[in-house]
Amino acid sequence: MKTIIFQTASNYLLPLLLLFSVFILLRGHYLPGGGFVGGLIASIAFVIHSFANGLEKTRSIIKFHPGFLMPVGLVFAIGAGAAPWFVGQPFMTGLWFEDPIPVIGMVGSALFFDTGVFLVVIGVSLTIIFTISETL
Amino acid sequence: MNLYDYLYYVILPVLAICTIIIFARFLMGPTLSDRVVALDLLLTTGIGIIAVYSIHTDQPTFLDIAMILALIAFLGTVAFSYYLEKREKNE
Amino acid sequence: MSNPYIVLPIIFQLFLAILLMFCWTQKNLQKLVSTVGSLIAVAIAVIMFAQVWKSGTLVTQAGNWGAPFGITFVADTFSVLMVLLTTLSGLAVSVFSVGAVRNARVKFGYFPILHFLIMGLCGAFLAGDIFNLYVWFEIIIISSFVLITIGGEKAQLEGSIKYVTMNLLASVVFLTAIAVLYGLTGSLNMADLSLKVAEIENRGLVNVTAILFLVGFGIKSAVFPLYFWLPASYHTPPPAISAIFGGLLTKVGIYALLRVFTLIFIPDAFMITLISIMAALTILSGGIGAMIQNNIRKIFSYLIICHIGFMLAGLGMYTELAILGTVFYLVHDIIVKTNLFMVSGLIFKIKGTYSLRLLGGFYKDYPKLSLLMAIPLFSLVGIPPLSGFWAKFYLIRGGLEVDNLVLVGFIILGSFLTLFIIARFWSEAFWKTGEELPKKLKVKYYHELKPLKQKAMVVSILFLAFISLGIGLGAEYVIQVASRVAEELMNPQSYIEAVLGKL
Repeated sequence: MKTIIFQTASNYLLPLLLLFSVFILLRGHYLPGGGFVGGLIASIAFVIHSFANGLEKTRSIIKFHPGFLMPVGLVFAIGAGAAPWFVGQPFMTGLWFEDPIPVIGMVGSALFFDTGVFLVVIGVSLTIIFTISETL
Repeated sequence: MNLYDYLYYVILPVLAICTIIIFARFLMGPTLSDRVVALDLLLTTGIGIIAVYSIHTDQPTFLDIAMILALIAFLGTVAFSYYLEKREKNE
Repeated sequence: MSNPYIVLPIIFQLFLAILLMFCWTQKNLQKLVSTVGSLIAVAIAVIMFAQVWKSGTLVTQAGNWGAPFGITFVADTFSVLMVLLTTLSGLAVSVFSVGAVRNARVKFGYFPILHFLIMGLCGAFLAGDIFNLYVWFEIIIISSFVLITIGGEKAQLEGSIKYVTMNLLASVVFLTAIAVLYGLTGSLNMADLSLKVAEIENRGLVNVTAILFLVGFGIKSAVFPLYFWLPASYHTPPPAISAIFGGLLTKVGIYALLRVFTLIFIPDAFMITLISIMAALTILSGGIGAMIQNNIRKIFSYLIICHIGFMLAGLGMYTELAILGTVFYLVHDIIVKTNLFMVSGLIFKIKGTYSLRLLGGFYKDYPKLSLLMAIPLFSLVGIPPLSGFWAKFYLIRGGLEVDNLVLVGFIILGSFLTLFIIARFWSEAFWKTGEELPKKLKVKYYHELKPLKQKAMVVSILFLAFISLGIGLGAEYVIQVASRVAEELMNPQSYIEAVLGKL
């Protein structure tokens, strides 16, 4: 769409929304949020950008095919699930670092699992939306 | 009349009546653009109701829902106008 | 006994699928990874089987949450046996796919989805929690939706509509049944349910729940009044896909029926009668349906239904001997049905048609291949040294033991129907002098394929034929396994103790 207001706004909205999505991802352990919602917000950021500036421009920002995020996200998730095996615990047991990391707080394998979900959701939703808007 | 009563007996009814009026517009709206604007307004009113409810029940978590709803409403309106524009171009 | 590594077959398949997603565009690499990975999966399953055979039921609690609350995975002999069979037919199908699946389908992610499907199957067999079982069923049906529609031919889409509708309906019924069961007992762990369901006083409600489960699993495993979706959809996707569907998907339903009706709901006289009637009618309708078909894949689809009836009959008799027969039949049927659909695929690649009327002269042109194909065909009938014989033998003995002569009669009738169908198939497709068929432009014929692809198709059929022969000739060992499975199923105390600890 050729409206200068929307285009300018979308340029500022993209980083803001991405930041918001990471915030939602990080606070998801005890409060509403988490990987799935965060991933959806991140993909909404890209979708708004593609509406304002055209699909090609958004593609050039992402640089790789969003479908590539699916296996990467799954690797995160499977890694977080299988990590307890190496200390002889059952699959998917929560492992936690002893000291909290500044800003993020306590970090455990659950966070990595959620990050995996986050990436898979971005990959899937962007692949679907880009494919649909290509054929339109 | 304290703030809570004010919210409960004034603001919420106003928002509720707004919703009904906007919904009437949404049903009548002669063109598609009218309906899209009505839908956007409907969602905005919904956000207002959520915000009031959040204050009334003292639950800050509901504000997140309002935030996400605002985002989706914005995206929906943008998407609608995007395709309206595209349709006009094709005709 | 607790062992955290029993979910490895599931995780390994997921790992394979991820690896295949990374090489999305390199189709040759995908074929290599899939084949090698399936080989390793078989090795894992064999090791697991050996371990369970040696040390009894293994259990792990995902996330280290204790038994009735967390998600439990249980590997008893039945589970690992099914996982082993799944990986074996998974290996055969993935080798067969190297030759038989078109590149267009590989480009749309055929191999990753295949491994997701096998992951779902392994998960369903290892789940020790009824809701978790439902989740694995969902994974299975979602991957199978993709597989059945991939390629997007018109007939395929038409078949998949029926398939998707009926399977979603089955899921809804299954989920409702779980919800009712949860409302009754407040638990989802199968071992815990086994104890709690026995204590419920309102037996009517328990029976209704049991029937809901019977309907849900019945649709999935295509038993009598609920089978119509199967012959309407299984002949539409490419042969490699219908091989894994025909071999394994309906058998998950049978597995779930066996598990639920031996562990949670101990059938009373009414349920036993109901299951027996369903089994008898399934055998009859499947057999008669197969007799009038002309498309060879439709014949095999109806034969699946017919033989599902055999397995259900074992459950209907409900003695240890009959369950032994069912388990043996399950072992035999998974291998043979997978093989049969691959055989039909190979026949199509050579002749370019599925129509029994047009086929002919196969034996004259390809004598060696015909002899190879005879092994799965005649195993299905149950000619004595081959694998089907022993399974039917034990089913009939089980029926005689409880004096259920009607069901025995139906099993014998079903065997004769199968014999008739296979004899007709053999004489029409192999012995009849065939005419020269017009070449189809769209079909890539067998002799046009690269030698590697030709070998892949033949080797996979050979592999499963050898396993069928092995089951038939080494029946003694299979009976040992099956009798242990039957004993564990009929006496669920060891299962419950393994999950919940000593009571």
